[in-house]
Amino acid sequence: MSGTTLGVLIAGFGGIATQDHQNSMYVPAFLAHDGFNVLGAVDVPGTTGAELASGRYEIPYMTDLDEALADDRVEVVSIAAPLERRAEIVGRAIRAGKHVLGDKPLAASLAETEELARQSEMHRTVLVPAHHQRLHGVLRSARTELKAGRIGLPWNIQADFFVAGGKTAPTGELMNLALYPIDVVHSLLGLDVLRVYACSGKYWNEAQVDFVTLLLDHENGVTSTIVCGRTAPMHDVPPAGLVVHRYRMSGSHGVILTDATKPTLTVRTSQTRRTQWSGPNTVDLLVDVLHRGIVTGRPEISASDAIYTQRIIEAAQKSLDSGVPVQLETAKKVN
Amino acid sequence: MGHPLGILVVGVGFIAEAHIAALSASTRASLVGVVDTDSGRAAAFSHTHGSVRHSSDLSEALAWPEVDAVIVCTPNDTHARIGGQVAAAGKHLLVEKPLATTVADAQRMSTEFEAAGRVLMAAHTHRAYDYGRAVKETIEDGAIGQPVFVRLAILGGWIWPDWNAWVINPDRSGGHALHNGVHLLDLATWWMGSEPETIYARGRAQTASELQIYDYLEMAVNYSDGSTAVCEMSRAHRPGSLSQRELLVAGTDGIISQDWDEESSLVFLENGTGLIPAAGRNAFAIQMESWLDAIDGGTPVMSVADGIRAVAMGVAVENSLTSGALVRMADVLAPSEAVAR
Repeated sequence: MSGTTLGVLIAGFGGIATQDHQNSMYVPAFLAHDGFNVLGAVDVPGTTGAELASGRYEIPYMTDLDEALADDRVEVVSIAAPLERRAEIVGRAIRAGKHVLGDKPLAASLAETEELARQSEMHRTVLVPAHHQRLHGVLRSARTELKAGRIGLPWNIQADFFVAGGKTAPTGELMNLALYPIDVVHSLLGLDVLRVYACSGKYWNEAQVDFVTLLLDHENGVTSTIVCGRTAPMHDVPPAGLVVHRYRMSGSHGVILTDATKPTLTVRTSQTRRTQWSGPNTVDLLVDVLHRGIVTGRPEISASDAIYTQRIIEAAQKSLDSGVPVQLETAKKVN
Repeated sequence: MGHPLGILVVGVGFIAEAHIAALSASTRASLVGVVDTDSGRAAAFSHTHGSVRHSSDLSEALAWPEVDAVIVCTPNDTHARIGGQVAAAGKHLLVEKPLATTVADAQRMSTEFEAAGRVLMAAHTHRAYDYGRAVKETIEDGAIGQPVFVRLAILGGWIWPDWNAWVINPDRSGGHALHNGVHLLDLATWWMGSEPETIYARGRAQTASELQIYDYLEMAVNYSDGSTAVCEMSRAHRPGSLSQRELLVAGTDGIISQDWDEESSLVFLENGTGLIPAAGRNAFAIQMESWLDAIDGGTPVMSVADGIRAVAMGVAVENSLTSGALVRMADVLAPSEAVAR
């Protein structure tokens, strides 16, 4: 490790369908962070965006993934590979001894995710899945208050996560968007899930599930409900912008209501009324989590979080397929 | 204009006051008497309400010539029996929700009133509240397209009396789903405009583990068109001063929502923070006028079929709470579904 400035390779410009989170999210965040030095961009099997990103961000264009992974200057790899190849690419980076920021979901299945966690531990690398929504300012402060017992013992969380516009993931939004609120609830409660009931719909995109409701039974009799969907575009909401993102946390001694579409400023003019984000960018915070995780060896978000979310997603899919609640076979203690 | 309809109120607990206040605002009906099994309470109530006739004997009161219609505000397990007496006496009935505590009783009441040619309406007052009507009208205007998801939560702290309260005795109230849950189940279904198919519920005895009802209820309803509702009813939240309603309706073309700060003022006090809900129209008066309209031949805001359905949904919730399983509405309505619907 070269001090606290870490060399980063941007590998892969794909995702689920046409997603390109490197360009839209990760590369700008790495460039803005003082602790990272972006060394180059390279494609992975199935992506072709490296040369374009190289020109856009004025970073070196690399043509061979294996050569790039063999470069000693590269300490960190930011990976956004097509989902069907993601585990393979992340695994290659880990085996090359690199720390990894992995686009979410970290892999296409629970088995793949668990294998990546095992490899990361074996090679002593830091593996951070891009679960950045939990880093939202109001959620971080709410989590601090929850952990401190501000509302006593929490017994229920209700979550609404609605995105307006953008393209529905071909995998369905259970695998894509729902991961975020599942991870947020996990970060807030830190309790394993014992039972999952899910229902879904195809309301705004007839081809794919674009709406899911998850009812989770956690340890200690705690329950949570997560409602997640990608609606049609809405006025004054940017494409794929969050139109509803909120959490209600009920505890033995109080309640926290959190609206994660805030903090905002309201700006009114003679022509328009709009809100303007006034908090830090969660992807910038994610990259900082990665940096601190590598420096300290204790990342705030790790492969265990990816295992947790993937486990619930797969149980929810079983519930959707069967139409009844699904008992998780083995409760694994988390965090 | 003829004489106002003479109204007998049966059961003079706290909810009776809301109905009598609505009566006092109506030019079409007036209070003519009260009945309560506690004769002292009936007498005291009469004393503070114009010395109207009072009795502890329902049969006697139903024979009073000035009685045209009845409002029943008694414990839930008495609704079916009292309803039968009212129908037999040839009077119209507005009965506090739930219509009854079993589907069979609700269906029997429907049959009795139909045979008597009298109006029966269950008091699902939330249909008459400003927010309930505004959401319904917005959906019917087509503003959000076809509704596909409803989140409705009515959350508050403990408001019930002590261990002797009938509302926390499931044998008397039918359980929290039938006592209060039916408000949300009915309202969400009314908004959705679709038939419920399955129900999955979870509950929590939060205030005391010895409670025989769940003071917190979560009820997930799946409808025949694939849409979903998540309804929460709570008397379990703390602090007890919490009074929060949460609603969100997602449709194919948009979303309706009303957050905690979109109807109420915020008050900061030395001992805490609270909400001051906006003053609105009198839902009990609107409900009363709708019932009187129905007696005059109009369409009530709450049909008997909808009242039966609300009971069935409440029963389905209680069954799901007991079994931990998904409950099909058809199984709750069977075997006499064809008669009821």
